[in-house]
Amino acid sequence: MGLLTILKKMKHKEREMRLLMLGLDNAGKTTILKKFNGEDVSTISPTLGFNIKTLEHRGFKLNIWDVGGQKSLRSYWRNYFESTDGLVWVVDSADRLRLDDCKQELSALLLEERLAGATLLVFANKQDLPGALSKEAIREAMGLDDIKTHHWCIIGCSAVTGENLLSGVDWLLDDIAARVFTAD
Amino acid sequence: MSYYCTSRGNSQDSSSAGETPGGDTGGGKQSGGGGGATVTGGGGSQSSSSRQSSSSRQSSGRQSSSSQSSGRQSSSSQTPAMKVKPGCGSASAGAAAVTTEEELLAGGSIPPEDVLGLQKITSNYLCGPDENVYSIDFTRFKIRDMETGTVLFEITKPPSAERAGEKKDADPNAGRFVRYQFTPAFLRLRQVGATVEFTVGDMPIDNFRMIERHYFREKLLKSFDFEFGFCMPSSKNTCEHIYEFPPLSEELMREMILHPYETQSDSFYFVDNKLVMHNKADYSYSGGQ
Repeated sequence: MGLLTILKKMKHKEREMRLLMLGLDNAGKTTILKKFNGEDVSTISPTLGFNIKTLEHRGFKLNIWDVGGQKSLRSYWRNYFESTDGLVWVVDSADRLRLDDCKQELSALLLEERLAGATLLVFANKQDLPGALSKEAIREAMGLDDIKTHHWCIIGCSAVTGENLLSGVDWLLDDIAARVFTAD
Repeated sequence: MSYYCTSRGNSQDSSSAGETPGGDTGGGKQSGGGGGATVTGGGGSQSSSSRQSSSSRQSSGRQSSSSQSSGRQSSSSQTPAMKVKPGCGSASAGAAAVTTEEELLAGGSIPPEDVLGLQKITSNYLCGPDENVYSIDFTRFKIRDMETGTVLFEITKPPSAERAGEKKDADPNAGRFVRYQFTPAFLRLRQVGATVEFTVGDMPIDNFRMIERHYFREKLLKSFDFEFGFCMPSSKNTCEHIYEFPPLSEELMREMILHPYETQSDSFYFVDNKLVMHNKADYSYSGGQ
């Protein structure tokens, strides 16, 4: 094996990214994951564990983890923090009643040491629903402007139509790449 | 494309041909060669649970194969399916020290590094079925062609609680072996998504890792090494590896087609770096010829 090959391998290894997708139950995490990867999204049931996809996108090797959001499962989230480069927080924009709950859970995550180095992407999902709040309204309700500890961005999207999923993930990858792979 | 699969024993289900799996938008381009699949059951009850499509049906006899399936199921989403590039989900041969099956069987518990050093398919199972103390149960296998979105096959089996009626005196290894029969076209697929679904018993698992090694004769074609890490108690989890098929030379493909079942794989599963499950599969690519 030549030196160049070894260097390429090392670089390849470095370009791995781990994305962790969390949010309250029924936010649409699994639907986002599946839609993003071209799968059928018509029969999705609550996640009682995790769904992982590994894939390559724009030369990055992505490991995307979607972990169930039911209240009884949230205490397990901590087991998935390690080595996370990007946190995707998914919000059901039509679930006005639980926005506060949603805000609290996110705030708690942002205090976690093992997520301190992660970029935050907030997906204001379900923009296709008539009752959905705009991403600006979500941004305000969740107090995102107060976040000083993490790079963050909010993007309105629809997992069902696929709208904006790609641009959200691309923003996330760009931000992580700029932080982590600056030597490239 | 078609495949035949000789079961993971027990019951696996597969259901109705004809439904459209994975196909929401239905507009996907279809590629040639009807999908067809046959599953041979390894003894055990038959049951059906899967709603989603599978291109196969099960026969409960050990040898018999049954069922041609449905045509190619179309699907493909128009939306941001990612562009998938080569090399994902795999680790190559790596630098592990060479080991032999005999050495591993002679020692005590088997750590991951040891199986990474294996140079060929094992002739035995490196652990007993009773070492699966966390009750890890594989309940679904699926392969889809990423270019067309087509589900090439899908096998599901109901959770073990629903399989109470199974014969207990059956071959204890029946559930650990799968035989797949594909057509030659399978070797020309470019990108596939391979999904496994598994359930976990009522104890949490701290560190779950899978190593899967595919060989043709004594040549290592592909080695997967993936760490699931923590698994919640009583959870159902899925993992899809979307990857580029390893490029095979025409010569090698011809050999693989000519010599069915000499393409084989070992799947090793570790909890806290200790081997707890070992499954095997073999493959033919001469179906439909």
